[in-house]
Amino acid sequence: METFVQSLVSGLLMGSLYAMIGIGLTVIFGVMRIINLAHGEMVMLGMFAAFFSQKLFGIDPFLSVLALAPAMFAVGVLIYRFLLRKVIPGGELNTLLYTAGMSLLVANLALFAWSGDYRTITLSYGLAPLRPLGIAVPVALAIGFGMAAAVTTALWLFLGATDTGRAIRATSQNREAAILMGIDVEKVAVLTFGLGTALAGTAGVLLAPSLYLYPTVGELLIVKSFVIVVLGGLGSVPGAIAGGLLLGLVESLGAVYVSATYKDGLGYVLFLLVLLYRPAGLFGVGKS
Amino acid sequence: MSRRAAALAWACGAAAVAALPLLVKNAFLLHVVILILMWTVLGAAWNVLGGFAGQVSFGHAALFGIGAYTTIILFLKAGVAPWWGIPLGGMAAALGSVPIGLICFRLRGPYFSLATLAVAELAKLVALNWESVTNGPVGFLITDLPQLRLLGHAVDWEAKTPFYALAALLMGFALFATARLRQSRLGAYLVAIRENEDAAEAIGVDTVRAKVLTLALSGFLAGLGGGFYACYFRYVDPDAVLNIGLSMEMVFIPMVGGLGTVCGPLVGAVFLTTVGEAVRERFQVGHLIFYGLFMMIVIRFLPEGIWGRAALALRGRRKEAKGVGAA
Amino acid sequence: MALLEVHGLTRFFGGLRAVGNLSFEVAEGEILGLIGPNGAGKTTVFNLVTGFVRPSQGEVRLSGRSVVGLRPNAVARRGIARTFQIVKPFPGLSARENVTLAAFLRHPARRDAEHAADEVLGRLGLSHRASTLASQLTLMDQKRLEMAKALATDPRVLLLDEPMGGLNPSEVDVAVGMVERIRRGGVTVILVEHVMKAIMRISDRVVVLHHGEKIAEGAPAVVVRDPQVVAAYFGRRAA
Repeated sequence: METFVQSLVSGLLMGSLYAMIGIGLTVIFGVMRIINLAHGEMVMLGMFAAFFSQKLFGIDPFLSVLALAPAMFAVGVLIYRFLLRKVIPGGELNTLLYTAGMSLLVANLALFAWSGDYRTITLSYGLAPLRPLGIAVPVALAIGFGMAAAVTTALWLFLGATDTGRAIRATSQNREAAILMGIDVEKVAVLTFGLGTALAGTAGVLLAPSLYLYPTVGELLIVKSFVIVVLGGLGSVPGAIAGGLLLGLVESLGAVYVSATYKDGLGYVLFLLVLLYRPAGLFGVGKS
Repeated sequence: MSRRAAALAWACGAAAVAALPLLVKNAFLLHVVILILMWTVLGAAWNVLGGFAGQVSFGHAALFGIGAYTTIILFLKAGVAPWWGIPLGGMAAALGSVPIGLICFRLRGPYFSLATLAVAELAKLVALNWESVTNGPVGFLITDLPQLRLLGHAVDWEAKTPFYALAALLMGFALFATARLRQSRLGAYLVAIRENEDAAEAIGVDTVRAKVLTLALSGFLAGLGGGFYACYFRYVDPDAVLNIGLSMEMVFIPMVGGLGTVCGPLVGAVFLTTVGEAVRERFQVGHLIFYGLFMMIVIRFLPEGIWGRAALALRGRRKEAKGVGAA
Repeated sequence: MALLEVHGLTRFFGGLRAVGNLSFEVAEGEILGLIGPNGAGKTTVFNLVTGFVRPSQGEVRLSGRSVVGLRPNAVARRGIARTFQIVKPFPGLSARENVTLAAFLRHPARRDAEHAADEVLGRLGLSHRASTLASQLTLMDQKRLEMAKALATDPRVLLLDEPMGGLNPSEVDVAVGMVERIRRGGVTVILVEHVMKAIMRISDRVVVLHHGEKIAEGAPAVVVRDPQVVAAYFGRRAA
């Protein structure tokens, strides 16, 4: 029972960060119909930015995130403005392949610049996990969870209660209608891509103290993000939150109760089954 | 291109391929040429499905892997010689592609691509865990080189020339198969599917059958390439033959060369392999930086690919509009 | 015996009934008009008959043989061809190649298919556009191409989904002439159309749909005076 609760807690903590990555991917898809294969690399960039902020300037990741989140937003805006926007008219498969090329480019540039070594971030505090009710909670993950929850709530309010947020949701639901309503969908697209990239980068910064850092980590994360957004329904923010938490749970419970190798296999099988039979996601809220 | 010109082009190509080992004595250069031939086969494999039918697969490493494993297992465990093992590897991959197709072709566009990605990852997991057949993460290594005789001659494993001949044969077959496909009704139907799948169904194209058949051909070619890889590098493990990067390289070659063209994969393989090997000397994984960069440049500025653009320029645009795709 | 019989055709989307218990017949050589206000389910009927959407219930027979459950390509092979309201050409190919692809269904050899395609292009007055890319044709010519593709599959029944939508009055006259010529060529036609003048002129009979159900059927001149039809189009008050 204790192991169960323990895996439940660590699964949810990890899942909250997965959810952030998934939300980033899903809002971009919703508004632009782009499946961004370079999304995992944006997480990787966030991780390395956190690493170097600490190493070079001694800034704690949970502090540097305040500067890195807007920086990643800017990265997303620049990528959209100067690279992606030009290829979108070529069709969704061209865009998909373009982001595949971008993913390869960014990951291997990072590999070239920083080598393939595994790195870790060591915090000066929280060496021993917190133990509320006898359950071990790693401090870094707990802070990460808190920040992820705050960011997600803020995003929720932004999408629900501001004009810009509503414009994003409207464009996501029906692009043509949004154009007719006088929404500047081009501006919405830039914003959304920046926002999605910022979410990926922020998740990277928050994950950095809890994971190994290496340049090709994006490959692993992008596959995970697909599982998340497909489980939750492509284009759906609540779906991505649920999908992220679900994947976190499946991974931590699977590692305990099923063998570690078959746990990943179950993820892919579930992914295929959902794609085939519930293309709108497990909760039926996404777009097929 | 007239029938006679086409025959002439084939003859010149064959003569060039036959003459090349007489001119190139440098073992490294010959190695690069062998790689180009192998990548042409793999690019052609992806091209029949992705270029002609517009079905973007991110999982072709699975088909390559099936070929590589089949060939090496048949060789090590049953003593089947490579010249039988490679075609058998192709057939195994073609067979394996049928269930993959029946599952993944229920999805369209980017959803199909994602599903193939998942299938390839599953294939890798199977190879890692089905130890009794695949030897798990360790894989297979051809250590002792057995005496093999072909047409009365002992096979010299250390020489590059026999592998060159084998690769040239496979490439010739792959290009010939693509050329035939392009002229056939099936080839025309694939273009219809690429252009508009609903409209293709409406005019009586059995889109599922056409796509599954094409995937089987694509799988056969990818399996041949995998079988050749196993014999040439004498080494097969899940990381080497079933990784995502391999699937991506198979996409990039026809993309850069020219999608849906016969010679595109050859042009793409010459270009990417040469650049890749040139920079590999200097930085180890550097070639992937350039692959990614070329991919972005090609999609942005040269969506027809190098050969596709050249073919357009040669014939003039008006004439081009009459045929399906470029040469 | 009727060439095409539709019996009790029903389709639900979620909880919504798009087509309900629809029955009608079409005799060989007839032109049947299928009309009704926007959202009446006309295009859905076409999708159900041609296999693009599976009926929840009901039967569709061509010469007495059921086509329900067949995929669209098999329905086309049986001899039911269709056009799409929003034209679906193969945009990157020439008009001639577009039609050749369709002609492949009955002519497996490329030369025969091209020959058949040229003949159809000529019949619809598209010969001079044969080598133009489909994406570069005018709307009128794209509508022609859409019909040419369907005709090249050598159908017994042709389902035309708003072939005159978006055309100007003189173009409509041309299109009306084309449909009549198609019928004289021995093809039975079912026509969904909003251009009332046109449908009244060429239909032998019309079926009126409202909310997915048939509310009237008969000769065009009689049906337009049917109070139920008037109410469906203009609201109760007008009736």
